[in-house]
Amino acid sequence: MIIGFVLLAAILIGSALFVVTSSRPVHGIVALLLNFIALAVFYVHLNAEFLAVTQILVYSGAILVLFVFVIALLSSGVDRLHLTVDRLARLPIPSIALLAALFGLFLWALMGHRFLEPSFHAMAVGGTPAGIADAFGSVGSFGTALFTAHVLPFEVTALILVVAIVGVVALTNEESRR
Amino acid sequence: MSATELNATIALSALLLLIGFAGLILRRNPLIALMGIELMLNASNLAFIAFARWWGNTVGHIFAFLVITVAAAEASIALAIVVVVFHARLQTDLDDVSGLKG
Amino acid sequence: MIQLFGLSESASLLMLAWLLPLVGALVLWTFGPWLRAFGAWVGTLMTAGSCVAICMLIPTAMSLHGGRASAGLLFSLVTWLPGMELGLWLDRLSLLWALVITGVGALIHLYSIGYLAGDRAIARFFSYLNLFIFAMLTLVLSDNFIGLLIGWGLVGLASFLLIGYWFDRPSAVLASQKAFIINVVGDIGIMVAVFLLFTHLGTVSYLETFARVPSLDPTTLFLICLALFVGCAAKSAQVPLHTWLPDAMEGPTPVSALIHAATMVTAGVYLIARCAPLWDASLAARELVGVIGALTALTGAILGIGQWDIKRILAYSTMSQIGYMILGVGVGAYSAGVFHFLMHAFFKAALFLTAGLIIHALADEQDVRRMGGLGRRLPFPAVAMTLGTLAICGIFPFSGFFSKDAILYGVLSQGHRYLYGIALVTAGITAYYMFRMLFMVFAGSYRGDVAPEDVGITPLVALPGHHHAEESSHDAHHVHQHAHHQHHAPAWLMQLPVALLLVPTVFAGFLAVGGDASLWARYVAPLFHTPIAATESIPLGETTSSILVLLCSLVGIGTAYLRYATPDAQRFAITRLKYESMLMPAALREAFWFDAMIDRAIVRPTRWLGDVIDRWVEPVVIGGMVHEAAFSARWLGHLFRSLQTGFVRAYAFLLACGLAIWAAYYATLGGVR
Repeated sequence: MIIGFVLLAAILIGSALFVVTSSRPVHGIVALLLNFIALAVFYVHLNAEFLAVTQILVYSGAILVLFVFVIALLSSGVDRLHLTVDRLARLPIPSIALLAALFGLFLWALMGHRFLEPSFHAMAVGGTPAGIADAFGSVGSFGTALFTAHVLPFEVTALILVVAIVGVVALTNEESRR
Repeated sequence: MSATELNATIALSALLLLIGFAGLILRRNPLIALMGIELMLNASNLAFIAFARWWGNTVGHIFAFLVITVAAAEASIALAIVVVVFHARLQTDLDDVSGLKG
Repeated sequence: MIQLFGLSESASLLMLAWLLPLVGALVLWTFGPWLRAFGAWVGTLMTAGSCVAICMLIPTAMSLHGGRASAGLLFSLVTWLPGMELGLWLDRLSLLWALVITGVGALIHLYSIGYLAGDRAIARFFSYLNLFIFAMLTLVLSDNFIGLLIGWGLVGLASFLLIGYWFDRPSAVLASQKAFIINVVGDIGIMVAVFLLFTHLGTVSYLETFARVPSLDPTTLFLICLALFVGCAAKSAQVPLHTWLPDAMEGPTPVSALIHAATMVTAGVYLIARCAPLWDASLAARELVGVIGALTALTGAILGIGQWDIKRILAYSTMSQIGYMILGVGVGAYSAGVFHFLMHAFFKAALFLTAGLIIHALADEQDVRRMGGLGRRLPFPAVAMTLGTLAICGIFPFSGFFSKDAILYGVLSQGHRYLYGIALVTAGITAYYMFRMLFMVFAGSYRGDVAPEDVGITPLVALPGHHHAEESSHDAHHVHQHAHHQHHAPAWLMQLPVALLLVPTVFAGFLAVGGDASLWARYVAPLFHTPIAATESIPLGETTSSILVLLCSLVGIGTAYLRYATPDAQRFAITRLKYESMLMPAALREAFWFDAMIDRAIVRPTRWLGDVIDRWVEPVVIGGMVHEAAFSARWLGHLFRSLQTGFVRAYAFLLACGLAIWAAYYATLGGVR
């Protein structure tokens, strides 16, 4: 268990770092893909099978492909990570300071807090094998929750997607830009 | 799931968040900045799902699902903007678009 | 008979007497432009009505002569604060003053109808006069120091308004301001005294205060009396706060007669007489009052020698006579001092009004060097002025004789020999300069420019070419009025009041005949206890003292006659007068430099302070503060504007900063459970 966690964590962090420091966007896309897949594995480990699959389908399959198309459109060239004094001279140092502070804060908060004991139900969940309908994290339980208790956010997201489509079309419509 | 594991997962989520944020701030290429945003969103998803597992409550999954959907919408719009703003430039530099300067 | 709003008859009469002039003032002020000349009659009727009401109260007031608290009628008006019950108080003292104010006032109102006939703003004049009557009544009828203060301030205001009545003359405006400012100094004195009294005794009513006086320690009492006297000195033109009175002659002559001779300037005397218990308890302060009174009397007389303007001569004589009154009350001879006030009101008003007749007859000539020989052309003013002058010089049997003698004998019997000597010398000088005026105006031959046939008793239409408007024609505005409006005011309007005033001028002295059994002594008996005679024997008897005073006056008259009235003097009058003008000692010319001293000591430093404030405090401190406020607002704006760099990464960074703050709060203080 521990080794699995450590390995997954290493992959996640490593790929994230690679995304951020890559000189070409295409390299970054590949690293991001690796990151997403590792995350999907992590989700499965956390009994969230449906979401793991959704992650791969939507994130890796749709969003990353969209990125690739845009990179192809833009031919962005090479851009290295600059930590030297650039035009926003005051940005890198405070940013790094901020990041360090935030991370320290998170750690401190984590170490100082005791999360409350998990509910009775969760204890029982831990041992249920995946694949059984209505088990925690399954499609059935997810669907039930989505369409009964949380149907409003569901509808709202539908609206958001429509807005996104309309927005994209409006943005890239050549006639409206003239 | 033990408390230690939960702690570690949350710490990992935080770290991913910070890495994504670093990428957003420190990179001039707009596409890599957007990738940083995606990293941040995924980090928050991780935290949601970890807590959903801890509490045994499906709400976390629902919310993570919503995050993914919204991320998709946002990514499309953001990329559309990037395309429109930077169309056919050789070097895309985020610092060049400073039209909002007051 | 008369009952208002359910008050008793005497209360109604008192309120009527007090408020009628106020009503008159308000009515005339509001409807003046439409009433015009009729308004003058309205004003006069109001004051006359007030006088009638007071007269109807005489029997009631005279019937009260019990102990302190029942010596008068008290009408409570309002309780302003605990310890401050305000009301009206009619006892023999306030009755006396109220009679003089309304009686002489009504006569002067009548006179003014004739004097200011044709003046376009005459209603405004009468509204101010009525305001003055109301204010003066408030002053004397109050039963507490607050009412006194209110009346005090209001008479100062009325004086200001009336001196500056012809406000398009810069000299009048300056004079009115000077009078007002010096009066304000006095007001401060009274206020300080009232504050001290209220703090230490907890009351402002006269009766309560006098009852509690023994509980005051001597130093506080001395300070209170001193502060009160500052007020008296300013209002009654005592040295060194007297400089406003000669300049106040810029106002119309009726104003000078009413305010600056008979009533307002005597407010100080009233205050001292009213607060007799206070002064009796602080003999040091009272001594000081006496000394200043004597000094003022002398100073006024000396300065009167060197004046050319007929009204200024009378102004200095007023100052001198009030000095006598103050001297009288200062040595404890309250009865004598108040009696002199009564006599002085009559003869001084008569003198001033007669001077007004002369000024009018000569088309606003006021310089005595340009008069002379008017005895034949103006018989009535000649007789009137002669009678008034005899009274003021204290010649037997005119009114001034009795009152002046009483004061001098009172001074002597209290053991103040030097003050007696000063008063004696002053009597001589008074006779000299008053008769000098008389001779210069009426004796000899005419030295002026007005054509003989135009010298008449009726108000004159100014003829072109007769405008010698330099230093003498102070009523230059008035001359314009004459030129533009032919007015035919009947002569009796101005002559009747003078005639009526001449009667008491000549005969009122007999009120005091008979020593302690005289009418006057019996009248004031409940008010003041007779002054305790000094321990050492009095050097002169009363008759001897009277003869001495008479002798001094005769010496003064003789000197004046020799200088101005002998045929020799008359023959070379014009040349002599020219010499006299040139050789006038500087001290007299500059009125002992009082004005110069005040200018150096007070006016210039104040101007300098104003200058400093204008040049430094205003732009740097106040302007600086305002500018700083604007500047910091702009600076703040710039600061926030610098956030709008237009760089996307910076915006993202700021968002992250906000998130960090929120996260930090939530993690530490927000109560993460």
